[in-house]
Amino acid sequence: MADFNKLADAIFKGDVAEVVATTKVLLNDGATPLEIVNDGLLAGMNIVGPKFKAGEMFVPEVMMSARALGEGMRIVKPMLSASDAVSVGTVVIGTVAGDLHDIGKNLVVMILKSGGFNVIDLGIDVPPEKFVEAVKEHNPQVVGMSALLTTTMAAMKQTLDAMTEAGVREQVKVIIGGAPVTQKYADEIGANGYASDAILAKELCAELIG
Amino acid sequence: MSTQSIESNSEGNQTVQFKVLSDGQCEKILNAALEILERTGVNVHSEEAISLLKAANCDVDGIRVRVPSCLIQKAINTAPSRVVLCDRNGNRKLFLEGNNSYFGPGPTCPNFIDPKTGERRGAIKQDAVDTAIVSNALPNIDFVMSLCMISDHTPELADVHEFHAMLKNTTKPLVGWTFDVTGLQDIVDMCSAVAGSLEELQRNPFVAMYSEPTTPLSHSKDAIDKLLFLSEKNLPVVYTPGMILGGTAPVTIAGALAVGVADNLIGLLLSQLKREGAPFIGAAPGGPLDMKTMQHSYGAPEWMLQHAASTDVYHYLNIPIWSAAGATDSKVVDQQSALESALQIAISAFGGAHLIHDVGFTDLGMTGSLAQLVMCDEIIGMVRRFINGVDIDEAHLAVDVIDQQGPGGQFMCAEHTFKHFKNELWSPTLLDRQSYGDWKNQGEKTMGARVTEKVQKILDEHKPEPLAEDVAKKLDEIVERAQQRVR
Ligand code: B12
Repeated sequence: MADFNKLADAIFKGDVAEVVATTKVLLNDGATPLEIVNDGLLAGMNIVGPKFKAGEMFVPEVMMSARALGEGMRIVKPMLSASDAVSVGTVVIGTVAGDLHDIGKNLVVMILKSGGFNVIDLGIDVPPEKFVEAVKEHNPQVVGMSALLTTTMAAMKQTLDAMTEAGVREQVKVIIGGAPVTQKYADEIGANGYASDAILAKELCAELIG
Repeated sequence: MSTQSIESNSEGNQTVQFKVLSDGQCEKILNAALEILERTGVNVHSEEAISLLKAANCDVDGIRVRVPSCLIQKAINTAPSRVVLCDRNGNRKLFLEGNNSYFGPGPTCPNFIDPKTGERRGAIKQDAVDTAIVSNALPNIDFVMSLCMISDHTPELADVHEFHAMLKNTTKPLVGWTFDVTGLQDIVDMCSAVAGSLEELQRNPFVAMYSEPTTPLSHSKDAIDKLLFLSEKNLPVVYTPGMILGGTAPVTIAGALAVGVADNLIGLLLSQLKREGAPFIGAAPGGPLDMKTMQHSYGAPEWMLQHAASTDVYHYLNIPIWSAAGATDSKVVDQQSALESALQIAISAFGGAHLIHDVGFTDLGMTGSLAQLVMCDEIIGMVRRFINGVDIDEAHLAVDVIDQQGPGGQFMCAEHTFKHFKNELWSPTLLDRQSYGDWKNQGEKTMGARVTEKVQKILDEHKPEPLAEDVAKKLDEIVERAQQRVR
């Protein structure tokens, strides 16, 4: 159906009104909620990712696309049956204890959401116990930690230790990021992955959940 | 008159007349900031600050504080319009007033370019030592910051160790950063030991300390504790938001100014509530989030414009001004770093900002570089010649000499030339002005190579005036005390 392209295009353009209108038309025409998600909404987002990577789109444009996706999802989500797994996976994320920087972490959150992930954002200055609790409560596949200070990077290790101690370390993949963080540091503390930007963070999550 | 001046827009020589905002525009920004404080208010995460604000009749709702404009206006009036910073020996050196501009390195880069190997690695205490030595030697670096956040000592004491390193290796005024009040106390103790007493330090302060709110409109406990501690002690505090346009602030420069000024003025108000007349240095600086790489760019023209506009607003408010320049997004000292730094330095000096830091930043503020610092020293020299302007009086108009030489005359041997050239012409120390042949014979060195050589030469040869042995020992003891505390 041609209208799926129209919906994907509206996502790509970040046109919220158009996404809402087209989604409703498609539903009226008998398209299933799952088709709308996969062939329209996420298909649109799949144009955005590569374009951004190629330097043809800017972050605020990606954000508008993500917002449009969210609005479309709001309409179809209640209609999806439990078996229609649209969430690609659940990610718990936060800025570690002692650290107040959150611009980068927030970007990662938005990009993950736009990729269909269910994201639980714990905010800033998150102590190890809170990460542990969140793992128990939300059962995520991935835990993400952000740190922008060399001093608070140590809290990443402490959080990993707390997760091991609480016996929940093995049930999740842990990824880390933030300007001073490196792949080498991730290896040192035994994290499962590192990404240097939000797009790579999304790809990393997809890869780890596999 | 010397060739290089610290003062732009000087009355006698009205050459540099640089502003990006009119007084009317400054007033609009101030009014927008006052409106933000009255309407939206700020979150204040400090009980002491909350009670000070409550007592002053602010509208307090939990941690949210809304501030009547009249309180801010009063604080602007009670804050001193000038701050003087001394050198380590108590000589009054930096007059943060009028259009005087002073330059120094920035703080807290996690990485450093190793001056020997040129390699990028984690910052160590020796880097703070080297930064102090090189800054001490450079004629156009007026104050010193550590240019790093060291990782080879107890991490929680990086601030204290860096200050210890700087105090021992330069006599120039210092600007420091700390994590919290405990470290700040150590630093003030070290400075008091050098000055002889806290009173002596207060009389002739050679240090200003830095603290920043979590913009937009949120003031952390640590940031406020530091601010109140310094205000109580009557020591200069720099309280400035680090805004990212399109990230933590509106993407529009006017919007970023409005919210940044609002955050800064909360600091000003608290400093004045704590102690009327406490010295306060302000600004509303920031730069754009690069919308492709998601990095905070220092080299962007909007970064320069934001800093220039902030400078105009604080001139308008008559409050001593913090700013930045000499910081590049480039990972190495190269053509990009030179062009970004040159523009920043020129613009900040033209505008007459007072304390201009971040000289020596590379890699979007992630890596400190002594080569960048040394290259910028040369740029500052050049810019200072420029802001010195054109002297116009009888001697400089030189009508007599022109008459003497007459048509077809030459000035090479004229006494007038001999008398004036040193004051009129700035002489470079790094820029190449040789003939092609001479340049080739001397090894075809690029600017980069000459800069690297100069860094090495300074590190090999320059010996800053040492501290008296008993004072140095006291500093070591204070660091040891801090080590015991965190153990
Ligand atoms: C903005 C900023 C602030 C703001 C933060 C506002 C906010 N709401 O976040 C304020 C002003 C509050 C601030 C405060 C401080 N800051 Co600051 N700050 C910065 C600055 C300029 C930009 C950071 C930023 O937002 N970048 C843009 C974002 C988009 O990039 P990002 O965070 O790196 O995120 C990307 C990737 O890293 C990755 N990513 C991020 N998180 C995650 C997580 C996962 C799981 C993954 C996979 C990926 C990932 O994806 C993101 C998107 O691409 C940096 C300089 C710099 N170049 O980083 C300094 C910097 C980080 N700050 C620094 C310092 C020292 C401080 C202070 C201690 C200063 C002080 N003395 O008061 C305080 C500390 C407060 C605290 N306890 O946290 C230093 C750190 C030095 C060091 N050795 O660690 C830096 C490097 C500046 C410098 N050179 O001095 N800061």
